[in-house]
Amino acid sequence: MSAEAIYRLLLRAYPPDFRAEYEREMVLLFRDQCQESDVRTLGFWAAVICDVARSAPALRAAAWRTRGREITRTIEVIMKLAAMVTVLLGLFGILNAVIEGLAGLKGTTDGTYKLALVLGVCASALLLAAGVAILRPTQRGRQAARLALLASLMIIVAARLLHPWMSVFSQLVGMGVPVTLLIALHWPRRASPLGAA
Amino acid sequence: MVKKRRADQPPESHLPLPPATFHILVALADGELHGYAIMKGVAARSEDTVRLGPGTLYGSLKRLLATGLVEESGERADPERGDERRRYYRLTQLGLSVVRAEARRLDAMVRAARRKQLIGVRPT
Repeated sequence: MSAEAIYRLLLRAYPPDFRAEYEREMVLLFRDQCQESDVRTLGFWAAVICDVARSAPALRAAAWRTRGREITRTIEVIMKLAAMVTVLLGLFGILNAVIEGLAGLKGTTDGTYKLALVLGVCASALLLAAGVAILRPTQRGRQAARLALLASLMIIVAARLLHPWMSVFSQLVGMGVPVTLLIALHWPRRASPLGAA
Repeated sequence: MVKKRRADQPPESHLPLPPATFHILVALADGELHGYAIMKGVAARSEDTVRLGPGTLYGSLKRLLATGLVEESGERADPERGDERRRYYRLTQLGLSVVRAEARRLDAMVRAARRKQLIGVRPT
């Protein structure tokens, strides 16, 4: 196996993007080195391996950081869409509870049902507030969103206990959305700073 | 995007430079060079104390291109080294300002060490 073939194998330690960009140049430079050095010596190969061992991990780490930033950007977009859907669901929840409350006024409704409706309105309003808070890309906004989601979840659980006939859709939205968003808000959204040149 | 933001920053914000980066920028201060010429220039200037391998050299060049300190100036064969086309690199205006700022910083450090008689005197 020629020295160049061995070097080409060593180059596999570098990230694919870097290889695509610089492999030809690196092999050319290695060929130049081979012409001016004795490739049969241990010192030559120790220097080559040392160079790969020193530079490849740093370039791999930089490639992972770049990929991490791309994933973070995608998550930011998804979170924005989720926040908009949350705002709409909050509005829909408030409207639904108000309409149900008005309909209930015509018939005979007990106190627990009315209390459950009020709790439903509160939970929906908190959901709406959480959606608005997530749309603000600040640490305080995220903290406020977490508190609003937690409060909304607790209120909807209380409403469910008071009013066991709550619709499956309301339960799914009231409990599923806050739990999903609370998990999503734990994802690291700030990318690590650029590595020094 | 990153390149543009970094290029807007003052030269001092890039300091201190890693030794390999400083040596590459100093080598490029002579004019445009290809990878092997940079490597030879660094080795000659540092009296063989700094030997850049291909990985270290191109890893540093990639970062220097991304930060806008260096730019590619074309691809052509070096008559002294065969027919293979080689990529040439040169300093940008920002790169020149940064290497000057780093040289001034190092010079100030050396002068401080000399004032303290840490260098320039015969050891007793």
